[in-house]
Amino acid sequence: MADDRLGGYADALLAVAAAEGASEVVEDELFRFAEVLRGSETLMDTVSDRQLSLERRQAVVEDLLGESVSAITTALISMVVGTGRGADLPAIVDEAVERSAAGRNRALARVRSAVELTDDQKSRLAAAIKSSTGTDVEIRVVIDETVMGGLVTEIGDDVIDGSVRRRMAQLRESFT
Amino acid sequence: MTRQIRHLVGALGLAGTLLVLAAAPAAASGETIGSCAIDKAIEAEEELVANGFTLHEIHDEALEAEFGALESEMESCLEAPSPIIPELDEIIWGGGAFLILLFFMITKGMPAVQGAMSARSEKIASDLDAAEQAKSDATKIKADHAAELAGAKAEAAALIDEARGQADQLKTDLQTRAEADIAEMRTRAQADIEASRTQAISDLRSEVSQIAVGAAEAVIRANLDANAQSALVDAYIDEVAGRG
Repeated sequence: MADDRLGGYADALLAVAAAEGASEVVEDELFRFAEVLRGSETLMDTVSDRQLSLERRQAVVEDLLGESVSAITTALISMVVGTGRGADLPAIVDEAVERSAAGRNRALARVRSAVELTDDQKSRLAAAIKSSTGTDVEIRVVIDETVMGGLVTEIGDDVIDGSVRRRMAQLRESFT
Repeated sequence: MTRQIRHLVGALGLAGTLLVLAAAPAAASGETIGSCAIDKAIEAEEELVANGFTLHEIHDEALEAEFGALESEMESCLEAPSPIIPELDEIIWGGGAFLILLFFMITKGMPAVQGAMSARSEKIASDLDAAEQAKSDATKIKADHAAELAGAKAEAAALIDEARGQADQLKTDLQTRAEADIAEMRTRAQADIEASRTQAISDLRSEVSQIAVGAAEAVIRANLDANAQSALVDAYIDEVAGRG
């Protein structure tokens, strides 16, 4: 998808969320769904399968989300899938979240964790990142059980890996 | 040649005939002691008869004188002719025959002999030339054969040397190649052994690490409760903050 088209969809999502006064919640839910979609090949194939009708794809997504997210979030995701851009949904959401953070003069910090972080942990993490990099960041947490413990933070192309998974990998490499 | 021989034979025959003819008068004029004695006796008897003597009257003194004279004459018969100086008639006949013979020898025999000798000399010279030419040819052929033989020997020697050189080179190449192959095989075998050893060690390490890491993960997962997770997150935050 061209960047302008991708940006157009991202702006649309942000505009709807802002219009509904639920920007933070909607962005967070979109971000989490995009991460789920990026990690599930089956779900990605389903939302991008041209053999299925758009209505069928929308129905699958709506049934999957159910009441776990807000109605606005479900509607926005269904809208993107209904336009036949289901395969581009992760990129659209990433663009939307980055634009939203950029609108607040912040960079997006994608944090992978095996458990949910508390608001205090998020705040302390953002402060720690600012103190180490000098950049205000907006924390977006992705639940990833493969991390096992600890966190993996991605800011742009920079990665700060303090996960148990990495420790295990280092332990495995030390044996070989 | 044949004509010259005929002339020579004819001259020799004519000379022989002249010698026989010339020797006959000489033989006739010559006397022996016997014939002389008989001739003297006959002459004395005829003389006695002519003088009116008979045979029984011969033995008187007068006869003895006659016989004495006869004896002297007969003694003269006993004198041998000179062994050096021939009789005159013999000289004449012999000289004539010699001159005739010499004439024919000079006029007929000598040219024939000279022609025959010349022809013989020419023939001998021709034969000598031919022999010399044959000898030269033989020598040349021998030299050619010797040169060819030498060339063949040299070529054979060169071929043998070349074949020996090629054989040596081939032997060296084969030996070098064999040594290289052996070295390569040894190196490859050592590399294979080392690779197998390394692979075995790596597999063993991998298996051990899998077991160990798996066990560690199991232990960690069993002990990663909420407090432990929170503690890990806090430790991470502190680590990030400490980077500044």
